[in-house]
Amino acid sequence: MSTLAAIGYGPFNAGWLASTLVITAPILLATLGEVVSENAGVLNVGLEGMMLSGAFTSYYVAWKTNDPTLSLLAGAGGGLLFALIMALVAIEARADQIVSGIAINLLAIGATGFGYDQIFGGQNLVTVHTLGNIAIPGLSKIPGGIGNALFNHDIVLYLAALLVPATWLLLYRSKWGLLIRAAGETPEAVDTAGASVRRIRWIATLWAGCLSGVGGAYLVLADVGIFGQNMTAGRGYLALVAVIFGGWRPFGVALGALVFGGLEALQLRLAAVHALPSQVWLVVALVVAAFVLYRVTRGAARPAVARLPWPAVVLVVASATLFFAKPYISLTSDIYSLIPYVVALVLLTAALAKTRAPSKLTLPYTRG
Amino acid sequence: MASRRQLTMKTAETLVAVSIAILAGVVGVAFVAIAGASPTSAASAIWNGSFNGSQQLSGTLAKTVPLVFVAMGWILVFRAGRFHVGFPGQITVGGIFATLIGLHLSGAPMIVHLPLAIIVAILGGLLYAGVAAWLWARHDVNEILSTLLLNLIAAPVLDWLVSGPLMEKGAGVPATPPLSSSSLWPLLSGGELHWDIALVPICIVAGWFFLTQTRFGARLKLVGANPRAALTCGLAVRRIGVNSILLSGALAGLAGASLVLAGDYPGVSNNFEGGYGFYGIAVALLARNSPWGVFPAALLFAALLQSTDVLQAQLNVSTSVVGVMQGATMLLALAASTLFYAIRRRYRMPARRLAAVTAEPPALAAKETVEL
Repeated sequence: MSTLAAIGYGPFNAGWLASTLVITAPILLATLGEVVSENAGVLNVGLEGMMLSGAFTSYYVAWKTNDPTLSLLAGAGGGLLFALIMALVAIEARADQIVSGIAINLLAIGATGFGYDQIFGGQNLVTVHTLGNIAIPGLSKIPGGIGNALFNHDIVLYLAALLVPATWLLLYRSKWGLLIRAAGETPEAVDTAGASVRRIRWIATLWAGCLSGVGGAYLVLADVGIFGQNMTAGRGYLALVAVIFGGWRPFGVALGALVFGGLEALQLRLAAVHALPSQVWLVVALVVAAFVLYRVTRGAARPAVARLPWPAVVLVVASATLFFAKPYISLTSDIYSLIPYVVALVLLTAALAKTRAPSKLTLPYTRG
Repeated sequence: MASRRQLTMKTAETLVAVSIAILAGVVGVAFVAIAGASPTSAASAIWNGSFNGSQQLSGTLAKTVPLVFVAMGWILVFRAGRFHVGFPGQITVGGIFATLIGLHLSGAPMIVHLPLAIIVAILGGLLYAGVAAWLWARHDVNEILSTLLLNLIAAPVLDWLVSGPLMEKGAGVPATPPLSSSSLWPLLSGGELHWDIALVPICIVAGWFFLTQTRFGARLKLVGANPRAALTCGLAVRRIGVNSILLSGALAGLAGASLVLAGDYPGVSNNFEGGYGFYGIAVALLARNSPWGVFPAALLFAALLQSTDVLQAQLNVSTSVVGVMQGATMLLALAASTLFYAIRRRYRMPARRLAAVTAEPPALAAKETVEL
């Protein structure tokens, strides 16, 4: 403990923890929708567009009514609208899901940009009321600021957290979950059982759109209180990576969303300071070392040295050296903003999850 | 010799493409009406802003050039079944590379400087596509996800370059100093049109020839239509996939070169990509992924892009209406393939040569099981 105190937490303090959760929540909501939809066999690249349209509709309704509940519902509706188009094109018209998703994103950027220009063009944007915080009695009093950072948030964040076990229960402990997973794995079996693959995929797609829309609404209602053009800025794509990182399972994908939330929060804090804090190098060294250990202990068929991921080992040594050398490094905010995306690419490459994609993911289904 | 059935299919393809354009136009008109402008005045604004007058026409043709390059790149990877969407990032990197050459070597004669800048831009696009290709071939990383992330990475790097190391000293705006004139495409006519438009017919004919008349093109199509069959035939599925991604990246780099070296301002700012990377995909889908359809489809989108300023200034219609029409065109083009699917099933036609999006793509998981 004394050594920890000597190093100092640097940017990784209670404030970072609190902002990690706030940034994670919208990604998590989109991810939890996507994990259901991908398990049903629909890859929804349009997540980003659905978040964006949810953000726009919720801001519009909040601006009109100043009612947080109504604007959250409007956010869900905004996501739902584009999920409807996605389902029509990808399930009914059987078009390529991935290209349809890209088209949905472009349509959403165009439509929200259009609405923004026509409705708010040339005006000063009003900041709408954000959601109020609810401190959880007892837990929020944990000393060191940690209780306040973790247990003093708005209701949507708590609900998003509760949705993780709920999604697990849905997918792995319910009849519906069995049907959903079967629709993505062996749709013929769903047909044989007398259920409709089409209907399951429709519901799963709409659910993903609905949750992404709420996620977009959360960006407006919890964070900034204002809509900006293309404000989702790739969070929907990070949610897609989180699903792969988490191996298509609710708790895994939630961890993935948390990783991206933490990185976003970190890059925002780094952009605010001049010199790169040395604690960052320590954390990089520790995290990558954990990855190396994980890879080495997994699968005993080959000797440990042969299983060493060498680029990762070099990275551990390099970042540990940088931690002790404490060089003065100052980067611009543009470069820090790359961190989440670069890590997302590395995570895709490292393929940590043991589970494979649902085998009929992206495939339209034709009844026999 | 083309059979009667093939001819019917070709006519049908053209009809479908025209209907898509009309339907997307209806969507556009609906949005114009929402903005409170009358459709007839919008139509005349688009016509006047894009074709009526040499200034407007040269601007429209200039915008056609990068659209054609990107659309040809998409058709190439589409045939090979690798739907990468990294064009914005590859255009950005290609453009950055061209900028670096254009800013330096200022004493060089044009005959050396311009080709060098173009070749380096092509290399830049190719290299950036190479990252996605390598991740796909070596690490089974889905190329769509990796290219989406690479697009998100390229944009802030450009922001940083034009507001930091490459920024014009003393200028208030984040942009590079003017590139030396020996590295720029010479003007073809007054206004915006440069000589790079000469590459458009070359690119289209070469693309057609390459895809339909060469062995490599045939292999590309076989790999795209049925990777398993291609593997059984002894084709190097991965290598062909990688080559298609690299080639399309090279074309995106060429588009980046045109945007930088034939732009209307000799300096380079952080938004020179201008959405062309994704507009090009919409163009290719509207062209039903056929090289011959690319030019008319690109001209249509270029006209829309060219006339947005007029629409904004005269009728107060947001420039984002082009984005709406882009998304609508793509979705309609994707959905239209269903029509063909239905017709084919109805009349029991053999699997079409133009394996459009109707042809069921191999699943993500199935792609990964194809090993060499």
